[in-house]
Amino acid sequence: MEGGQVAGIATGAAALGLEDDSPDKHVRHARQERGKAIVSRAEPVTLQSPVLGLSNISLGFGGVAALRDVDLQVAGAEIRAVIGPNGAGKSSLLNVVSGLYCPDQGEVWFGEHSFREVPTSKLAAHGVARTFQNLALFKGFSVFDNVLMGLAHRVRAGFLRQIVGSPLARRIEAENRSAAKEIIGFLYLDHVQDSLAGTLPYGVQKRVELARALVGRPKLLLLDEPFAGVTLTEKQELSHYVRKARDSFGATVVLIEHDIGLVMGLSDRVAVLDHGRKIADGTPEEVRADPAVIDAYLGDHGNDMEFAI
Amino acid sequence: MAIPASSKSSCPSAETLWGAIVLMVAYGVVPFVGSDYLLDAVLTPFLALALAAVGLNVLTGYTGQVSLGSAAFLAVGAYAAYNLHLRIPSLPLLIDLVLAGGIAAAVGILFGLPSLRLRGFYLAVSTLTAQFFVQWALTKFGWFSNDNPSGVIDAPVLTIAGISFTNAAERYVFSLTIVVISTLLTLRLLRSQSGRNFIAVRDHEVAAKVIGVPLLRTKLLAFGISSFLIGVAGVLWAFAYLRTVEPAGFNLDRSFQILFIIIIIGGLGSLRGSFIGAAFIVVFPLLLSRVGAALLGSVFDSGILEMSQRIVIGALIIGFLIAEPRGLIALWDRTWSTLWSARRTAAPTCSLTQRSLQ
Amino acid sequence: MFDYQFFIEVLIGGLLSGVMYSLVAIGFVLIYKASGVLNFAQGAMLLFAALTFVSLVERGASLPAALVATLATMIVLGLAIERTVLRPLVNQPPITLFMATLGLSYVIEGAAQLLWGTQVHGLDIGISDTFEVAGVLISRFDLFAAAVAGSLVAVFALFFRYTRTGLSFRAVADDQFAALAVGLRLPRVWAAVWTVAGIVALVGGLLWGARLGVQFSLSLVVLKALPVLVLGGFDSILGAIVGGLVVGAIEKLAEVYVGPSFGGGIETWVAYVAALALLLIRPSGLFGKKLVERV
Repeated sequence: MEGGQVAGIATGAAALGLEDDSPDKHVRHARQERGKAIVSRAEPVTLQSPVLGLSNISLGFGGVAALRDVDLQVAGAEIRAVIGPNGAGKSSLLNVVSGLYCPDQGEVWFGEHSFREVPTSKLAAHGVARTFQNLALFKGFSVFDNVLMGLAHRVRAGFLRQIVGSPLARRIEAENRSAAKEIIGFLYLDHVQDSLAGTLPYGVQKRVELARALVGRPKLLLLDEPFAGVTLTEKQELSHYVRKARDSFGATVVLIEHDIGLVMGLSDRVAVLDHGRKIADGTPEEVRADPAVIDAYLGDHGNDMEFAI
Repeated sequence: MAIPASSKSSCPSAETLWGAIVLMVAYGVVPFVGSDYLLDAVLTPFLALALAAVGLNVLTGYTGQVSLGSAAFLAVGAYAAYNLHLRIPSLPLLIDLVLAGGIAAAVGILFGLPSLRLRGFYLAVSTLTAQFFVQWALTKFGWFSNDNPSGVIDAPVLTIAGISFTNAAERYVFSLTIVVISTLLTLRLLRSQSGRNFIAVRDHEVAAKVIGVPLLRTKLLAFGISSFLIGVAGVLWAFAYLRTVEPAGFNLDRSFQILFIIIIIGGLGSLRGSFIGAAFIVVFPLLLSRVGAALLGSVFDSGILEMSQRIVIGALIIGFLIAEPRGLIALWDRTWSTLWSARRTAAPTCSLTQRSLQ
Repeated sequence: MFDYQFFIEVLIGGLLSGVMYSLVAIGFVLIYKASGVLNFAQGAMLLFAALTFVSLVERGASLPAALVATLATMIVLGLAIERTVLRPLVNQPPITLFMATLGLSYVIEGAAQLLWGTQVHGLDIGISDTFEVAGVLISRFDLFAAAVAGSLVAVFALFFRYTRTGLSFRAVADDQFAALAVGLRLPRVWAAVWTVAGIVALVGGLLWGARLGVQFSLSLVVLKALPVLVLGGFDSILGAIVGGLVVGAIEKLAEVYVGPSFGGGIETWVAYVAALALLLIRPSGLFGKKLVERV
């Protein structure tokens, strides 16, 4: 057990280029990771009608443009990464998709539905779930109840029915509990399911948040820096779970990340943002070879990029 | 912040057992051995305040919306029940009670509307609008008090299905029954999805919204349920305890008193704490004035004693908050669990592990 | 025919009394900005200051001596509160701090009346008549009060702009963690703020005492200051001033033009309703900091 962990850290460190932080090396290690990813992918990505589409999204905060004319198409069951230096507009993009920010211009598409301003309260109903950069668990709840909250939108019985325990209310409650139980098992959280979420290690909390997002079996899963602030082992675990979620549930994943090495191995396609503009979009190989990307990362603000940890 | 009971209660047996014992004593022993003074001046106001505290806890402790206007909803409940009884004499008292709660809930939802846009102190201050407006309206418009010049109302005899609850013990039993039923229903609500939605809104509003918790409905439901319970508590306060009330009795100090119960003693988000806190807030001033009068009554006049009492209560509030900002109940729980786990480390019971998490 | 002259008279009367609200509200804002505490005891401090001053004068102290002694008392009181109540509660949630100041108000009110008695004292500062400008009656006292409040605000503005403590205060108000990181000593800033709050309470107490008589109900002026704070934003001194003026004007106008149709007495809540109406349009008050939610 311990030995395995150590080995995991060692390979993780290698994959992420800890020993040598020259950019070339990162690219090479990332390629190795990618090799593994291809092997583990269950089925080829089907490029039907996009699950998520952004067209001409622009967003400004008091004169500062956070996003400029961004287009993005995300196909069903693909893992799509959006990367970019600090302040490139990645988080803004995710917040536009989840309706927390309203873009100045452009539209967001969920399948056939397009929105000028995404109604946050209807996200779950549209099969969209997300996690947050700085963990947004409910601290007063156990892990189990946190996960159960992910199904809040499914409870249609009114509060009076819930108080008296009508058949409908009971049935929904029972269904939700077993769904929560299942996803807790899927992410190996059984042993902590009765613990208060706030008391657990950061990496485990991230997994709980993932469970809460997955429990509703979303069509589209938005992950906001899922690997930020966790240890190397946990990063690998989490990326394994993300892939597993896609493979088992067919969820489409959009993730935002700093850690380019990890992302290149995990994603089917990668979009690169810089200064609010999309400068590249394609498979990891294409993106890596793109001169604009190399410029953005190695150019004037190459140091913004966090290659490891 | 105290931790609410897990919705997946892993050991109901211990809790249920204690609850049953308390109820058996409350019903089977207290009404027969308690003196009229105890029943009338201590237990009945305790029950009414405890229910009000449960109500405020739903809003402030569980949903995280601070209200400074609880007394207004007590008043709405009391005056609504009075008018229902007066104007529709054919309605049974229990229906009056539920409708009065419903009217308080409606008023509460109205004054809760700002919560959709306001947070923190902005919301807290806005709830003062209810406090001042209701008190003013009840004094100003004679209709509410059947044209009594100072807005005073006298309670009718409590009669349910031909049984009258007139003496101290009977009114105590009446209050007890209403409070127990209301609290149990509240407990069920808090353990349902609606109750979980309350806590989710309190702990992380944005996350709750993204997950699909209907913020508008959840907040207004919290305001409604909270005001309903406080309104019913107001009926008990007016009909079972004081028997004669005036709008001035439902002033800001009363609102603060209820807030003290849940914040200083009861701990936010703990129904058990609401009861212990209410007991404290009723008993302590009585005790203090007795002790003060006994020790110093011959030396100082009553005015000085009253001022000293105010100082002592204020100082205690501060002292308690410094000693345990999460409420005395947290201190109690900690001491209790330390004592028990020291004695029974080998086989910690389920309820103890739950406590130690707090 | 609408009587414009009367309207203006009411409006000016309202604005001038609004300045008195601002005076109380500023005490709140200072403490709120520096430590995030909504100090409900501000009214009790006002009462304490006025009662101390009047009682000293009644016991034969000269006016300047009484003023200096009261000032010293208020500074000591402010420092004592910061030291014994607020410092042990650092980093507690706002509602806990608010409750603590509620307890504090009980202690101060009790102590003030225990020390100086409960009877009502008159406080005559010798300005009471009115004068006429272009046919509009103006109260000389109100004008005087407004001038005092105005100069107090000017002094604070200079203090916060040019003194070291003032600059520290602004840094703390802006970002407590950053202020800590650059080595500012928070307790010292808090102590300064409570001292200043004590001084504001003294000025407010004397003016309000002169108007209402020095008595227990003086501590209830906090309830007048709260809608002002909501209107102006809890963290804006400018907001407290403008909010005070607006509340004063609305209250007087409503009392004269709307009140009679309700049978009067609406001043207990009309300011709250006005503040609420504005809040629904601007959730952080007129001048409050608008925070962009980051997730």
